[in-house]
Amino acid sequence: MHPLMVLYKKDGHILANLNTVLRRESRFKVLFILAFALGLFFGLYAAFLSGFRFLNLLGGAGFMVTRYLFSLIFLALGIMMVLSGIITSYSSLFRSRDSILLLTSPIPDSSLVLYKFSESCLLSSWAFFFIILPYTLAYAVHEKLSPFFVGWTLLFSIPFLIFCSGLGTIIVLLFIRWIPRHLREWVILFGLVAAGLLAYYIRPTARPGLDDSQFLLSRLIPGLQLASNPLGPNWWTSEGIMSLARGQVGRGLLLWGVLVSNTLMVIWIVRSLGQLLFARACQRLWGIVPPRRGRERLGAALDHVLSPFGSISRGLALKDIRTFLRDPMQWSQSLIFFGLLGFYFASLRTFHYHALPDVWRNLIVFLNVFSVAAVLCSLSSRFVYPQLSLEGQAFWIIGLSPAGMRRVLLTKFFTALAAMATISAALIALSTTMLGVAPLLKTVTISLSLAIALGTCGLSTGLGAIFLNLKQSNPMAIVSSFGGTLNLALSLMFMAAVILPCALPFHLFSQEKIGPATLHHMLEFIGPAIVGLTLLTTFIPLWLGLRSLQRREY
Amino acid sequence: MIEIENLSKSYGTVRAVIDLNLVVPRGELFCFLGPNGAGKTTTIKMLTGLVHPDAGSVRLCGFDLARDPLAARQLLGYIPDLPFLYERLTPPEFLEFVGDLYGVDRQRVNQTCDEELTRFGLADHRRALVGDLSHGMRQRLIYVATFLHDPQILCIDEPLVGLDPYTIRMIKDLLKAKARSGVTVFLTTHILAVAEEIADRVGILSKGRLVALGPIDDLKKRHDLHGDLESIFLTLTADDYGLPTGAGKEESPPCIL
Repeated sequence: MHPLMVLYKKDGHILANLNTVLRRESRFKVLFILAFALGLFFGLYAAFLSGFRFLNLLGGAGFMVTRYLFSLIFLALGIMMVLSGIITSYSSLFRSRDSILLLTSPIPDSSLVLYKFSESCLLSSWAFFFIILPYTLAYAVHEKLSPFFVGWTLLFSIPFLIFCSGLGTIIVLLFIRWIPRHLREWVILFGLVAAGLLAYYIRPTARPGLDDSQFLLSRLIPGLQLASNPLGPNWWTSEGIMSLARGQVGRGLLLWGVLVSNTLMVIWIVRSLGQLLFARACQRLWGIVPPRRGRERLGAALDHVLSPFGSISRGLALKDIRTFLRDPMQWSQSLIFFGLLGFYFASLRTFHYHALPDVWRNLIVFLNVFSVAAVLCSLSSRFVYPQLSLEGQAFWIIGLSPAGMRRVLLTKFFTALAAMATISAALIALSTTMLGVAPLLKTVTISLSLAIALGTCGLSTGLGAIFLNLKQSNPMAIVSSFGGTLNLALSLMFMAAVILPCALPFHLFSQEKIGPATLHHMLEFIGPAIVGLTLLTTFIPLWLGLRSLQRREY
Repeated sequence: MIEIENLSKSYGTVRAVIDLNLVVPRGELFCFLGPNGAGKTTTIKMLTGLVHPDAGSVRLCGFDLARDPLAARQLLGYIPDLPFLYERLTPPEFLEFVGDLYGVDRQRVNQTCDEELTRFGLADHRRALVGDLSHGMRQRLIYVATFLHDPQILCIDEPLVGLDPYTIRMIKDLLKAKARSGVTVFLTTHILAVAEEIADRVGILSKGRLVALGPIDDLKKRHDLHGDLESIFLTLTADDYGLPTGAGKEESPPCIL
């Protein structure tokens, strides 16, 4: 039997045994997770559909943009998939727990890499279910396209996702194989070059004298031009789907052929690079000796900063910070998410968004708060929620120490909060400064970001203690468990419950439907309500989590 | 047969293994001893191809591990100190998977599955998921899986960690029987009594260098030491603990931890 088939057969067995695992779970848990997934799917569908309808209301420019958006989303998704491919490939190729078993078996490296690559593609397939499918459905309904449209999308999306994930795998293999010996110096140099380019890119330029429609198009055209480049796989995908939907079968199949042949080429490159480089890349990665001096200096600096909090809290916080910084999966994901948002916010002036009418600026400000909050929710679900469970077998060290569970829980909470609150408030401050909004809106949105950081950290730490699972060492299994899903669902609900009541009065004010006095009255009423909700969302889970930790037997 | 020639490996400025030369013939049970950080696990990882040496070569049953890795791996059975098992497979499914990896005939896999799962006390757990088995049961399952393709060479890193006395006895007997049947067994352990009991020869590694090699009785004679393997070990590795050479010759070795 071909080695790949052996590995897939094993996965088949695991899939078949899922039934046994699911039967053990309570029906409520399974139904809750399913309901959450469906809710997310239809929520995104509704959001996309209302987005298309909103663009349609704009008239000519909006109508033209809608036409182009189909191509643009595949460009954006493609970039996201490459980034996701880099993270998942690194994790499945170099960090997975079965690598020693597989590397000592007589499986050729090429098969092993292809297998891990297919795992990485599967992990990336969430994009199809949660972005492409609801988007396509909404687009098909809005544009009154044939029901086959979704089928054509499926036909093109699979090779498109494999193509993009493959690029991620290729980047990882090449980078790890030739990872520079003086990595720190290279990272500093790269950071300086990137900062220079960013400064050049976001420099303020004069706003052309255009009306709103022209302005909107002119700002989107660079992206649209890139999305419409016939050499891009996103264009083959979007054009191919549209051709088939319009009944141009020949053109559609030709574009599908181009996409599939390029995808096969990428798979071939992955396979060849796997055979050539995988073993050497493993040696390179496993042979890296981290610079001790840098670590010592960082440790001393952190020690100094945390010294006012007493030795126990300092020790606990230092351990968590060091663990975070020494896990590339954790800091790279945070860096990518927050870095992309920071880059986008820093570019707001380049796009002349600050010169937009108040209605638009107001909308963009709250969309930005929404993006930062969504990233906060996902990162706290991914990293803060599982941190207590990940103490695993070492929990006895903390459990037996004189620290006490209260201090352990609060230190974890405050460490996470310090990081999340600083980053989110800084990002919103950057966004509002770039947009040049009024001080009141600036204060409200920064406070909102702090409230969301407080609430999500409280929820994630508290629920992480309530649903503590010390036997599970895989963070993804902890995150995707019932407790993890509940945490994400509650965080997203809290985020919506906090942002929407604030966004509405500002929106009405920017449309001049209410005056400044009414706005202030509304805020006087909404403000305390949000503070109350935030405090309840923060402290109830923490209190329940603490009670659960203290009552638990270890 | 394992042939190691001028094997060296460094991590940055730390020299983990220095110019190691060693031949372990067919049917020998060889114990590799050494303090923590002496280079035992690095050596065993180089024997399995997980770590590539900076210099030197490893040949397993005549196959050069660097030139012909697949043929060499086919003859090898490796059990790391913390072995991985797919938690959502049942024991027979896991054995079937390992059998497929090594191209073992299905009929043989089924037969071995029946016989060995019974012999290792796992027959009642055939339908359980591996994730539900205790640590000792998982260890036993790993042994069944490793022996499935009849490896000519067994490399085992700390074979008896976390096992109950019955299983320890069973594993020791099994390893001796394997060696008697012609399998080359290369294991590392910190339990000197085990080495003393089952090893045909021992090698002692200190700071990456092989400082002693041979049957235990020969080592005692060669180093003019009386007593057990512990005395020899402490004398030869005193340098690793920052103790004066010859510390092991004292009647009561100093407390070093």
